[in-house]
Amino acid sequence: MLKSLNFQDLRKKAGSAIDHRVRIITAGMGLDELRAVVRGDPPTEKPNPRYKVHTTSFLFHIRPRYYEKGSTILSHTFRLGFFTSFFFFVELFTGLILMVYYTPSPEGAYQSILELESNVFFGQLMRDMHRLGAEAMVIFTVLHMLRTYLTGSYKKDRSFTWLTGVILLFVTLALSFSGYLLPWDQLAYWAVTIGTSMAEAVPIFGEQANLLLRGAPDIGAGGLLRFYLGHVVLLPLLAVLVISVHYYKVAREHGISLPAKYEEGNVPADVKKNAKGRLDFIPDLLSHEVFLTALGLLAVTAGIVALGYSAPLESHANPQQTPLDTKAPWYFWWLQGMLKLGDKTLMGVILPGIMTLLLVALPYIDRNPYRSLFKRPYAVAIGILAVMLLVTLSYMGLPIYNIETPAATRIVQDLAPEEGPGPLYDVPFDQLQPGVYIVSENPPDELCPQIDFGCPVFTEVFHQFNDDVIYAATQEGLPPYQQLPNADAVMLVEDWQKDLRKVTMRITWDDVESGKSTTYEKHVFLHRNSGGE
Amino acid sequence: MSRINVEILLGTLIVLLTGGMLLAYGINEQARMDEYKVAQAASAIEAGAALFDNNCRGCHGVQGEGVVGLCPPLNDRFFFTERVKEVGWTGTLEDYIVSTVAGGRLASTRPELYPGSGKPAMPSWSERFGGPLRDDQIRDLATFIMNWESTAPDRETAPALTGPAVGTDITQELPPGEVANGEALATSKGCAGCHVTTNNGPAWASSAGQPGIGDRAATRIAQDDYAGSATTAEQYLLESIVLPGAHLVPGFQIQMPANFGQSLTAQETADLIAYMLTVK
Repeated sequence: MLKSLNFQDLRKKAGSAIDHRVRIITAGMGLDELRAVVRGDPPTEKPNPRYKVHTTSFLFHIRPRYYEKGSTILSHTFRLGFFTSFFFFVELFTGLILMVYYTPSPEGAYQSILELESNVFFGQLMRDMHRLGAEAMVIFTVLHMLRTYLTGSYKKDRSFTWLTGVILLFVTLALSFSGYLLPWDQLAYWAVTIGTSMAEAVPIFGEQANLLLRGAPDIGAGGLLRFYLGHVVLLPLLAVLVISVHYYKVAREHGISLPAKYEEGNVPADVKKNAKGRLDFIPDLLSHEVFLTALGLLAVTAGIVALGYSAPLESHANPQQTPLDTKAPWYFWWLQGMLKLGDKTLMGVILPGIMTLLLVALPYIDRNPYRSLFKRPYAVAIGILAVMLLVTLSYMGLPIYNIETPAATRIVQDLAPEEGPGPLYDVPFDQLQPGVYIVSENPPDELCPQIDFGCPVFTEVFHQFNDDVIYAATQEGLPPYQQLPNADAVMLVEDWQKDLRKVTMRITWDDVESGKSTTYEKHVFLHRNSGGE
Repeated sequence: MSRINVEILLGTLIVLLTGGMLLAYGINEQARMDEYKVAQAASAIEAGAALFDNNCRGCHGVQGEGVVGLCPPLNDRFFFTERVKEVGWTGTLEDYIVSTVAGGRLASTRPELYPGSGKPAMPSWSERFGGPLRDDQIRDLATFIMNWESTAPDRETAPALTGPAVGTDITQELPPGEVANGEALATSKGCAGCHVTTNNGPAWASSAGQPGIGDRAATRIAQDDYAGSATTAEQYLLESIVLPGAHLVPGFQIQMPANFGQSLTAQETADLIAYMLTVK
């Protein structure tokens, strides 16, 4: 029996059967071809079987068949567009998981975040990733746009792609901003209150715009639901749609732009020809994408696990209490800076509106046909100026710029901010020795000599308090709001409850204008286990 | 090696590295979550302490020790072991606190000892019932109050009077007072709960250009708008304690319980007055 079997024949038959199956699955690539793909060898057959899948498969059909070699140089694209969409997918994935645990109501939202962080395996990691991905997506969107601007890649047949890119910039900002509100903590509530207050400044229908956005004159249950639905349904759908259009133009129509030197530079013909050579999707672009994805995942994971990035969570939103030093998310600091310069309607609506129009119309305003940096000095100068302006405006948007916080409030806020970390919260509980510590010209070097391990951290915090008060009391030439004439100050630490101490900071001074004795006092309760939060 | 080979090799290493990091993170997850819960309870206590300080200490005492004739203590053993049984509450004590704070109390359950601050005996504090606090704040308050349990003193009811009550006759002859005792009583009887501590000490101390209560008492009886019947500083102070409605300083309302004549002994009252007269 065995002898009658022709093994050679069987092997060939089985081989061709397998090959046939594989060709069906891979849409045209046989076993040998697959082997060549993984090895990075050229195609084994003609016509190139690696292109067939682009016509038969939907997912591959929207991917490029090839890019020109010159356009994929790292220093030309920096993979900024790739990483922007990578972070979008990170957001989709983590967002879907977070949705499972989230309740979009003022009563339930904050609690659901606490539950997520304290009761869900990898819950905090998901939230941190979602937050980190959002910040990164904004950064990469802006950088991608800047790169496109500097390489002049918005010109000619890419002008429509640029337009969809501008739309995506706003969709990204809107996505990030709408997600900001959802944890319903003080940070979220006030950042969004500041942000949406811009809507009020819109001429004519400002009040309606504000109502539409917030669902009520102030953000409440209605506003939260609107932001939530916008964040998880409307904006992601819009983003998927516009990203598809944007990407399809690049992948299937005009490709990535070649560096200007290959198009208009004085380079040898063979170099030019080589730059225009094809880099196929299978295997080169695909393997590179997978590699970059792995790299991106490593960066996000390492950012959280190794570098300790963590999404902030402040105390529960309190519409009755505006925390000191409230600020918008960092990507809107420039807007906050502009608002400090003038009228809300002009600075908050009209000027940003004009800036948007300029961005949209850029390919039509800029008639210079060249793409090289050296042939577009004005465009480059304007670009650099715009970046510098944004950075300056962002700085001006910070609470440290041009906001006159009274000295006593400032001193106490620097030690024990209403929200977020502060030096006082970092003092180990055992170093907070109950007692009365009086501010003087010569504060003791060691505050608690009675305990053998001393209290170095607490001493340092008290010295900061002491020095700030003495500085404000004695320094000549300070503006009136920073002065504390004849200041008396004390820091009181009391045992309050089991594992709970009360710290009172009290500053008394003669008001600069009226000369009356004025007092500022703040109580802070610190628990042994609150862990510096 | 071609670029693809390098990418496959490096990519695999990167994926392994990422996986390793996630694994290390995952191993620590249970500990991290436990720690988070502890920290969360701690910040609830901190938040509750601040809320208590702002809203509750006027009636329940600075440290929850209660004020006789006003509101019950929340930090004694009786509260933690007997209170729930006394009122017939079927849930936990913490639920009882949350429910009482949220809804308030229409009428006192112990009107002789702690009649409360009027009608209702305790106002409702939840936003849902017209109060100022959110539900999560009320839960924080309850967490803070529950934290007194481990240190609660063994005091079952208000301490009995150690001598005859002082009554409301302001012309009576009081025994000689002890200044030091008086100062201690001003704290232990909960006076500072309402007579709020100012920058320089309690409300009866001198502040903002006004002399202390010892001097104020002497000059006030001589003022034209004085409505009481005291003729000396001692009598004025006695009158203020046992008959708080006799004379109202402009700008103030009657909030002080009117039963100190029954809940203070003559000796205690004399001590308090002796102390206050020294505060110039």
